[in-house]
Amino acid sequence: MSFISAENVKFSYDEQNRNVLDDVSLKIKKGEFVALLGHNGCGKSTMAKMLNAMLLPEWGVVYVDNMDTSDEKLTYEIRSNVGLVLQNPDNQLVAGVIEEDVAFGPENLGVEPQEIRRRVDDALKAVGMYEYRTHAPHKLSGGQKQRVAIAGILAMEPSCIVFDEPTAMLDPNGREEVMKAIQSLHDKGITIVLITHYMNEAVLADRVIVMDKGRILTQGKPRDVFSEVPVLKRHRLDVPQATELAYRLIGAGVRFTDMPLNAEECVKLLEEVLG
Amino acid sequence: MSLIEVKNLGFTYGVGTPFEKKAVDNLSLSINEGEVVGLIGHTGSGKSTFAQMLNGLIKPTEGQVLIDGTDIWAKPKEIRKIRFKVGMVFQYPEYQLFDETVYKDISFGPRNKGLSENEINKTVRKAAEFVSLDDSLLEKSPFDLSGGEKRRAAIAGVIAMDPDVLVLDEPTAGLDPKGRDVLLAQIMGYHRERKNTIILISHSMEDVARIADRIMVMNRGRLEMIDTPKVVFSRVERLRSMGLRVPQITRIMTELKQKGYEFSDGILTVDQAFDEIVGLLKKEGKL
Repeated sequence: MSFISAENVKFSYDEQNRNVLDDVSLKIKKGEFVALLGHNGCGKSTMAKMLNAMLLPEWGVVYVDNMDTSDEKLTYEIRSNVGLVLQNPDNQLVAGVIEEDVAFGPENLGVEPQEIRRRVDDALKAVGMYEYRTHAPHKLSGGQKQRVAIAGILAMEPSCIVFDEPTAMLDPNGREEVMKAIQSLHDKGITIVLITHYMNEAVLADRVIVMDKGRILTQGKPRDVFSEVPVLKRHRLDVPQATELAYRLIGAGVRFTDMPLNAEECVKLLEEVLG
Repeated sequence: MSLIEVKNLGFTYGVGTPFEKKAVDNLSLSINEGEVVGLIGHTGSGKSTFAQMLNGLIKPTEGQVLIDGTDIWAKPKEIRKIRFKVGMVFQYPEYQLFDETVYKDISFGPRNKGLSENEINKTVRKAAEFVSLDDSLLEKSPFDLSGGEKRRAAIAGVIAMDPDVLVLDEPTAGLDPKGRDVLLAQIMGYHRERKNTIILISHSMEDVARIADRIMVMNRGRLEMIDTPKVVFSRVERLRSMGLRVPQITRIMTELKQKGYEFSDGILTVDQAFDEIVGLLKKEGKL
């Protein structure tokens, strides 16, 4: 049974313009980790906003946990079920103390104070920011701020979190911290939808969906999708350097037993090749 | 002679308040005319503060910035002239577009420089050409452009002032991979034609590895290294301890070298790695 099911979704921001989403259908299973890729303007952020009723389809339908997102009576429940983390952490933090910031969501959901305390502590522990709970957010690094923003979503106990380029503004360390946090949430069974331009992050997903011109171009396991190097390059995307190297060596007649997606795999496979 | 000479430069925010913070600490270096310098460092390492001191947007609390041998703060009333010499492209520059048309927006700098209408026209068109903005876009409102076009229009506005030094603060953030490549190629094309000095702040190790002559690494307000990409990216552990990484391809080739394979040091691009591996396989008769 799919947790999220989009059927023939069409959407445009104004009437003259082309459809930003042009007949998109996709299903996401509970607990799945899906990476959504595509060039700027391909419709992936619009699709993300469909998943928690921030936008509604003009045509077609989106179900979240069997709830139709266009049913206004369900909007509230859908949004507490599907959290959204955005690019700029500074735009997502509201309070002067970290634990108060994380408590903002559950407070607004009317959760009991003791339960809020438990949720805030659990959420901060889950992203490794518990020791900082009494600090001020503005003194944190970008990666830390972004993890606090994630904790703020977690405290609402959603079953799915959509990340829209959560690492675009972070330094390499911050990117790694945030990706580790995302993976540990996935391990806990939370459904993850990750929009990213970093191919090194997309390879961590169970499934990669590539969008182009408001449609789904291709999807599958990262290893299968990233083996299609020319297809990705043609659509303004890239592959990890490890994959590109292997792809070019294969083209030159070198035999690889598998397609590497990261540095470790590439080193191992090259050791086989080099003997 | 070096174009930029930085001597014991320092900047402290909020002097005398409980929030006093040394953002840049005793930084000295010199940059030659026509050099491309990559600037990397963790968030809060002082990169942007340093960059803003290069064109006098922030006045140093210690030390000096010399351009062409003159302290830029020698005559504080003339600091404006420095901003024509050192052009700054901030993060997300598209948020700074403001005029009715793209043409007017790009012409803002040259007009303030006091150029004639004819010169302005030439400069604007040339700047637009560098970033591949089609002539037909110049009469449009900048707010009708796509995200990538807006960013290029904003960069053209700085290029149009024809600065001797162009400082870019994460110009490719948020662009898709192809967009990143294209924009970097345009900046490098501009650099090759004008031979001006480029300082590129970036969180993408792959990007700086590819285009920089030298890389400066900042850590907690201090200059930790300034050297060729080869040397900087051979210090894998040191970079990691400062919250940075080496490009994935460099990591792969470094690990293989440590396992005893005969590869050159400091491989920075997939092209180089490909040549090295094919070379070794051919030498051993395996290809």
